[in-house]
Amino acid sequence: MRIVILFGLILSISFMSCEKVIDVSLKDSEKLYVIEGILTDREGDCVVSISKTKNFDDDNIFEGLGDAVVSVTDDEGNTTALPEATTGVYRSATLTATTGKAYMLEVNINGQTFSASCIMPVKVKMDSLYVKEEGFFGETIKLANVQYEDPVVKGNNYRFIQYVNGIKEKNIFIRDDDYSDGNTSTITLFTAPDEDEDEIKSGDKVRVDMQCIAPALYKYWYSLDQGASGGSNSASPANPVTNIEGGALGYFSVHTVESKTVVVP
Amino acid sequence: MNKLLLVILAMLTCMQGYSQEKFTISGTVRVQKTGETIIGASIKAGDAGTFSNDYGFYSISLPAGKYTFEVSAVGMLIHTRSIELGNDMTLNIALEEEPKTLDNITITATSKNRSLSSPQMGIERLSTKEIRNIPVLLGERDVLKTVQLLPGIKAAGEGNSGFFVRGGAADQNLILLDEATVYNASHLLGFFSTFNSDAIKDVTVYKGGMPAQYGGRLSSVLDIKMNDGNNQDYNVSGGIGLISAKLNVEGPIQKDRSSFLITGRRTYADMFLKLSNDSALKNNTLYFYDLNAKLNYNIGDKDRLYLSGYFGKDVLAAGQTFGLDWGNATGTLRWNHIFSNKLFSNTSFIFSNYNYNISIRNGANEFDIFSQIRDLNLKQEFQWYINNKNNIRFGLNSVHHTIRPGEVRPSSGQSSINLSLLQKRYSWENALYFTNTWKATDKINLTYGLRLTSFSILGEGDFYNIDNEGSVTDTLSYTKGAFIKTYINPEPRVAASYQLNETSSVKASYVRNVQNLHLISNSTTASPTDKWVASTNIIKPEVSDLFAVGYYKNLWDNNYELTFETYYKTMQNQIDYRDGANVFINSDAIETQLLFGKGRAYGIELQFKKKAGKLTGWLSYTLSKTEKRINGINNNKWYNARQDRTHDLALVASYQISKKWTISANWIYYTGNAVTFPAGKYHVNDQTYFYYTDRNGYRMPSYHRLDLGATWVLKQRKRFSSELSFSLYNAYGRENAYTISFRESEDNPGKTEAVQLALFKYIPSVSYNFKF
Repeated sequence: MRIVILFGLILSISFMSCEKVIDVSLKDSEKLYVIEGILTDREGDCVVSISKTKNFDDDNIFEGLGDAVVSVTDDEGNTTALPEATTGVYRSATLTATTGKAYMLEVNINGQTFSASCIMPVKVKMDSLYVKEEGFFGETIKLANVQYEDPVVKGNNYRFIQYVNGIKEKNIFIRDDDYSDGNTSTITLFTAPDEDEDEIKSGDKVRVDMQCIAPALYKYWYSLDQGASGGSNSASPANPVTNIEGGALGYFSVHTVESKTVVVP
Repeated sequence: MNKLLLVILAMLTCMQGYSQEKFTISGTVRVQKTGETIIGASIKAGDAGTFSNDYGFYSISLPAGKYTFEVSAVGMLIHTRSIELGNDMTLNIALEEEPKTLDNITITATSKNRSLSSPQMGIERLSTKEIRNIPVLLGERDVLKTVQLLPGIKAAGEGNSGFFVRGGAADQNLILLDEATVYNASHLLGFFSTFNSDAIKDVTVYKGGMPAQYGGRLSSVLDIKMNDGNNQDYNVSGGIGLISAKLNVEGPIQKDRSSFLITGRRTYADMFLKLSNDSALKNNTLYFYDLNAKLNYNIGDKDRLYLSGYFGKDVLAAGQTFGLDWGNATGTLRWNHIFSNKLFSNTSFIFSNYNYNISIRNGANEFDIFSQIRDLNLKQEFQWYINNKNNIRFGLNSVHHTIRPGEVRPSSGQSSINLSLLQKRYSWENALYFTNTWKATDKINLTYGLRLTSFSILGEGDFYNIDNEGSVTDTLSYTKGAFIKTYINPEPRVAASYQLNETSSVKASYVRNVQNLHLISNSTTASPTDKWVASTNIIKPEVSDLFAVGYYKNLWDNNYELTFETYYKTMQNQIDYRDGANVFINSDAIETQLLFGKGRAYGIELQFKKKAGKLTGWLSYTLSKTEKRINGINNNKWYNARQDRTHDLALVASYQISKKWTISANWIYYTGNAVTFPAGKYHVNDQTYFYYTDRNGYRMPSYHRLDLGATWVLKQRKRFSSELSFSLYNAYGRENAYTISFRESEDNPGKTEAVQLALFKYIPSVSYNFKF
């Protein structure tokens, strides 16, 4: 539901609004651990990154935190240790996830323990990826579309990541089957022309990763997008609903991945 | 019920001991030129005094004798006559409008007197005459924006017609148009209200101490009465402004007996959009319109019928791909009957509807979303002017609500969206009330009353039990017509006044209000897609208790008035959202997205008003605090509500330079709203996000603004008059923060920055109004 954004656009079109950078003095606060854990059905994707929060006025270089003990255990009790690959980044080159199985992430750092668990969802195939022109407030813009067949059982959740000429787009594209269960579904990866992203042009290479994600992760991405992106649409910004226990920010997602690439005609 | 009986008994006991024979004068007060009835005209005879009711009716009882009988109202010449009372009399009074000359401007000062003796407090009454000179955004005169300049009433945001009263949320205001509830009183995302000031006779705001005939919302009542229509002569008036054009036609159907009124308004900014070369503007639609209509008919001397209606709609579309329209429709049929010179009755049948429709036509995702709330409402009220010491009002109110929370319909065969209809919700709201205004002594007046309300949730439908995490644990299914749950709440209403001397008084009041319809909204600005939900087994009725004390003083021959009120309000069963709540969830169990808690608000309000002379206006100041405590938010600790503002100041002035020119200005200052800013930032998903600790721990920058206005009377003849109004909104171009957002710096991606969005800077406007 991007109605609010549309309202915003209409407002800025209708009235002479003006934007400026201001100084806001924000209090420093306690630093929290940030854990980003990913496990997929593809070898080499399993990676856990650990960092900390910073003050608003600090720079955006988030250094990884080393010396953590990281492991993933499946519901049959098989534990895989994730050694540190580069500072703060812990990897397993071989670990993959199987549909229906639960995986538990455990992170020990400086005497603190964080854990999270996630069940690998059913894989849904990406049937096609194509770029189509859409009218938007009178302009014509090129947008990527993904088509897939949603399974008849309710509870499928998807996330799409778009790369244009190898550059990852910032928008979070998620979709559930709340209103479209069991249907041939198309999602338009909608990027408004005034957003920071470059518009898609003829000749561009568009790649889309389609992930089948767990319901808890749908909620995470939804609430991250609504509440933590710094925008002003939400009445009450808040931290996203995480599946990590122990007081860290971030998430642990076990999901399927499928990529397709098209060259824009 | 026992309590009610006790109070009735107590009331009856104060009616004893009037043995001297008395006679009653009753009648209706009108404007001579138009035949419009006058609300709240002051009627005095001897030491007895009263005010005309909502239909212009009054009744006053006195012992036989000679009296000077005096009737006065705002903007009207005082009517005085000597009467010799020896039997009951009917006196229908027609007041002449005060001529618009400078010499006699002070004439009405006495009738502008705020009633020192009446126990009613927290009340503000505005006539459309009073608001006509106040400068407004884009020249659209707007009662809701004028109301926001009064103490204790705060604007919901820049240029917004939503308002907060004494710490209450925007959905806690009962907004009535000819007794019908208006569920969404705003046009164009809140920038304009649904009330076309040309059609309006009287606006009364109760920010506390609301009389027992009103109920259903926690914080305030905004009671708007439409004009009845001129029953003497045909009249056409209209106006052309920057964004809209208006036309008002009224006249008699049968002179003195019946009249009609039709008022329409439409914005035409979209027509200019069409002319634009910019295709981004050209293919979009954005307009609204309002239509008010009223008929009234006198059947003999004792009966009068009124039929009034309102219809308004907003239409917004982005090319072919997105459309949104929404609007209210209300209808009221009323029957006044005068049973006797002491007993007045009104019966109303009321219909009220609000709905919106979103249409999305995006490739394979073609669908419509529809939502609606609809009321059928019956009110019966009696006003019984027992004697000069007791004036009773009692009645009943029965409303049936039907809510269609959300219906998603695919609009083509290939749409990937399924048909999904959320269950309709039915409820039945009933109220019995009575209230007596008792003149206990010459100095002490008391109003006491009780409103007994019941709210029944009716089947059919599924209701739920929910655990602490917001998951459904149990589904309870009910059949059609089943009474699922009934909430009964007695709402006591008590107020007292003590007149200290000729020019000053103190008052105190206590009022309880209960609200069973709640607005679910998750965005910063009021949105037409905000959802009304009724109380359920989990969503409990909201309850507020308001205590207030006030001091009132008239100064310098009643030309000035000083008002001071202080209040403390508690609110129970307040609603907030869980983190990550999705109010568009495709589930009948909206409760899974909600959290509940309580609120408190307190403050002081000061107003200093100059009511007569070339220069009129007021200064109002509010110092207040509003907090909430919701289980699951801010570690269950008290936090500032979003509408919490420490200081709120408004200075409103209008000066009549000559017969032709009036200039006006207002200046507004308030502390920024409480807001949540980041406590820090972090890196996930290859970008920077923000994290939060305290809810509403920061404040927006202070807001201030100066508006200027001028009215130039071009022609002032008996058959034709016209004027030009100029206004300049935000005259010194203050960039007030509408929103503040946070992002990676565009110039320096290694840093983050705060970005302020300001909406309006110097908005000039001109409009032309005429009347013939």
